[in-house]
Amino acid sequence: MRMPGAKKNEIGIRIFSLWNLRHLDPLLALLVISLAVYGLFVLYSAGRSEFSPTPYYVKQSIFFLMGCGIALFISCVDYRSLISLAPAAYGIFLCLLAAVLVVGDEIKGSRRWLDLGPIGFQPSESTKLVMVFTLAWYLTLLGRRIEKLPYFLLTFALIGVPGVMIFKQPDLGTSAVLGPIAVAMLFVAGCRVWHLAGMVMLGLGVLPIAWSHMKDYQKQRVMTLFDPSADPQGSGYHTIQSMITVGSGGLNGKGYLHGTQTYLSYLPEHHTDFIFSQLAEEFGFVGGCAALALFLCLFWRALYIARTAADPSGSLVAVGCVTLLAFHVFVNTSITIGVLPVTGIPLPFFSYGGTFYLTTMSCIGVILSVNARRSVPGQSGRPLVLSPARQGVT
Amino acid sequence: MAPDSREPKPSISEARVRLLGMAIALSFCLLAGRLWILQVIRGPEFLGKSESNRLRIERLESPRGAIYARRGPVQDVVLADNRAARDLMVVPADITISDAALCRRLGELTGIDPKKIEAQITKARKAREPFKQILVRGDIPAAVSARVDEYAYALPGVFTAVRPLRRYVYGKTAGQVLGYLGEINPEELETRQDRYNMGDLIGRGGLEGRHEDRLHGEDGRMMVTKFAAGTPQLRTDPYGNPYIENLVDSLGHSLSVEEEVQKARPGGDIYLTLDIGLQATAERLLEGEHGAIAVLNAETGEILALASAPGYDPAVFVSDTGSRERVSILQGKPNRMLHRAYQEVYAPGSVFKVMLASAALEEGVITRDTKFYCPGLFRLDANGRAWHCWRRQGHGQVNVVDALAFSCDVFFYNVGLELGVDKIGKWAKKFGLGVQTGIDLPGEAAGSIPSRESKEASNKPGHEEEPWVYRWYPGDTVNLSIGQGEATVTPLQNAVMMAAIANGGHLIVPHLDRESAPARSEKFLSDRTLTIVREGMRKCVEKGPPAPTGTGREAYIEGFEILGKTGSAQMVSLSQYEHYKDEADIPKELRDHAWFVAGVLDHEPKLAVCILVEHGHHGSSEAAPRMRDIVNGFYESWGKTPVLAAAADGEAGAR
Repeated sequence: MRMPGAKKNEIGIRIFSLWNLRHLDPLLALLVISLAVYGLFVLYSAGRSEFSPTPYYVKQSIFFLMGCGIALFISCVDYRSLISLAPAAYGIFLCLLAAVLVVGDEIKGSRRWLDLGPIGFQPSESTKLVMVFTLAWYLTLLGRRIEKLPYFLLTFALIGVPGVMIFKQPDLGTSAVLGPIAVAMLFVAGCRVWHLAGMVMLGLGVLPIAWSHMKDYQKQRVMTLFDPSADPQGSGYHTIQSMITVGSGGLNGKGYLHGTQTYLSYLPEHHTDFIFSQLAEEFGFVGGCAALALFLCLFWRALYIARTAADPSGSLVAVGCVTLLAFHVFVNTSITIGVLPVTGIPLPFFSYGGTFYLTTMSCIGVILSVNARRSVPGQSGRPLVLSPARQGVT
Repeated sequence: MAPDSREPKPSISEARVRLLGMAIALSFCLLAGRLWILQVIRGPEFLGKSESNRLRIERLESPRGAIYARRGPVQDVVLADNRAARDLMVVPADITISDAALCRRLGELTGIDPKKIEAQITKARKAREPFKQILVRGDIPAAVSARVDEYAYALPGVFTAVRPLRRYVYGKTAGQVLGYLGEINPEELETRQDRYNMGDLIGRGGLEGRHEDRLHGEDGRMMVTKFAAGTPQLRTDPYGNPYIENLVDSLGHSLSVEEEVQKARPGGDIYLTLDIGLQATAERLLEGEHGAIAVLNAETGEILALASAPGYDPAVFVSDTGSRERVSILQGKPNRMLHRAYQEVYAPGSVFKVMLASAALEEGVITRDTKFYCPGLFRLDANGRAWHCWRRQGHGQVNVVDALAFSCDVFFYNVGLELGVDKIGKWAKKFGLGVQTGIDLPGEAAGSIPSRESKEASNKPGHEEEPWVYRWYPGDTVNLSIGQGEATVTPLQNAVMMAAIANGGHLIVPHLDRESAPARSEKFLSDRTLTIVREGMRKCVEKGPPAPTGTGREAYIEGFEILGKTGSAQMVSLSQYEHYKDEADIPKELRDHAWFVAGVLDHEPKLAVCILVEHGHHGSSEAAPRMRDIVNGFYESWGKTPVLAAAADGEAGAR
């Protein structure tokens, strides 16, 4: 069920259309709002033990509202125009990443920030989204030629350059996101499976080289994963305490505002990277699964939109955004339950932090934009149960 | 509608998007599975860990019971109690500056070698115990503690902790009676784990050891919610009892106390019969000597003073700086740990004659009028060995009263022979000589009065071919008659014997605990015997004229009726120092031990006293004079209450 190319002209490209707001997917919006509200509740509890003039949950609410604005704005923008801007953006970001490596501000041992007068800017965060669009542009341009090995390999060259630059900052978490995004998008774009399989195998083979380039603290974190008790006060501390925090929640949790591990500061960063532990401690297995289920519904819905997008580029950006978010959720929760080594990967909608919240909402905006284009007259996708497009079709 | 595979469009495969969705769903299911394992299957285990993270059992150390003596008949004074000692502590994890800088500052403030502190901190860090509270120095002076508190902002990780520490208010006075405290050892801990922790102090020797179970309280405990960083700061009152309200930790979090607080139950107090004034007097009288003084209430057996010299200050054993002194006390010569009044035995010497006279009178061997002639020496047979009287020129014809007053040896040689060793042994036991008195202190020595059986029993396997060596000979009886030979007693036993004479013939059990009921035996001496023996002992103290003065005349005090008996316990046979022309030339270690037992009968309470000065040579010159200070000092604080004539055993007429 492909988009017939003949219809393309009828759809036309309108760079910005408030009309799109009428095609807002209510199910997706509901899931986003549910997650955001859930996140704020957990953050309120997580922020209790911190002494801050403006509580985290207040700031996070503002980030959420700003994010909503951005998401709505992006949903009105035609993603195809954004895709066409991707090559330029890619070039600019390569320069910015290079600048970060040379003149970036060093915080806690890594250069991630670019000092732009009054505000700091972290190019690596936005690079994720830029890469989604760049890959969508590239894969759309290639079409079926992606089945050929050189074009396939070129994809990895595209993500490899910024990937290595970010890895060098060093920001292991962010650079690691790029791989799954590329793999998912290539897969959906129709590359040969054995190409992909070979690439993944090769990637795993490269791990030892990556290991040799890792900083000591990064290696320590990986080692810790295998034996957290080796250094309970040092690098194992986070893993052990996080597992205790999550595990002590039990089936139903200790009750809202009754978490002890987090409130008594046994688990550091419980309002940012380890907020899932806070959630799991206070709401237990039930609450943890509820959050995962909400995420899964969100991604399922977004993938549905991707599947039924107006054109392949729409599918690709939607898949890229879903992968980006899903990877964060998976890796973040895996860290908190002691499956992956500790790296700075935030949990969408839950972890406190403005930049990533805006990235998250941008992804939502892109998915909404794809959804909106899907519903224009002549769209060939399947009728949606909850979409206003249904009336248009019948 | 048909897909055009020729077009250079990517062929978005719906199936592949679905697969991607399933992959995400599958990975989320794995996460949920892991959550199930952590939260539901291992949940209880992690809950326990989080609780032990959160809850910290704070031990509320129970204060040890106090020990009271008295001053005069009514006033209680505290001998041993607890004070708040301040310990300088550091927690490595809380040090936010460099260790070296902290140690330097700490060194400047307290004068402790910074390198030593740093080594301790490094050790704790290496042992992965950064949260360990390191004891930098225990019991720091209040001034240093105040300085540390003042500069607390510059000393992150440093704090002072308060703990109760034993205080001995009178220092050395009664030190050996009190005993001392020492850290509990692992073997002791094994059997007492319910009440003790590692590092606890436990009573050793003396009252501290004897009444350990009563003095040691029961520790309380409370559960405190603890923040990850910061240590709960238990504040204590001046006696080391923790306050439970307004708990904070070192970072200022207010902490909540979980569950009910089990308060510490303080140890029980002990009230002694000891009179601190008299005890101090007795110890002063022994200053510079080795010896012992025991003063008993003759009627009840209450110990009014129990002095021993040289002694020690028990505070040395709980101080953090006294380790050198401790070692010198524990290992040094002379043995300062030994309480010479009840843990050491001596030959009773002439003091033994009090018992012998009473026994002979009771057995009917002699009467008041029985006389023996004393030529200055005594032989069993014409050519046999000569036993001398201490008075070489002899006493002439003496009866029992004069024999006691002038300590005639020959009289008692004869009496002893007539009485026989078996009866001497029987009566010695009745008087409590050579057997434990039952004092409520640990480690009491028994001493021994030799008998036929004991001499035979001393036959070691190697000498079996010469059994005659271990047979009892009349000569042994002669020696025993004046308390020489193998006979040994403790000074306390002599005091108990004296008490029997003073209280009308009852054996009492000396005790220090005011709560223990006075225990006394049935009357075993007749009034007739008592009257005669008392007469002799009174005459011993009396200063002539008209009668010749007795050996105990130095103990005479105007206005008091004092009974006394001197004694000199030979250390070596006379021949060893016969060649010294002057007594002053005799080396101190060869001189006799000087004894004096005495009783005061005409004042309340009646006293029984025993004084021993090691190598004092003569009871009359070394021991007896010390009696005066004891009697004067005692009745000054207790008041001079004359014993009513009716109650004074009707001996007024005997005078």
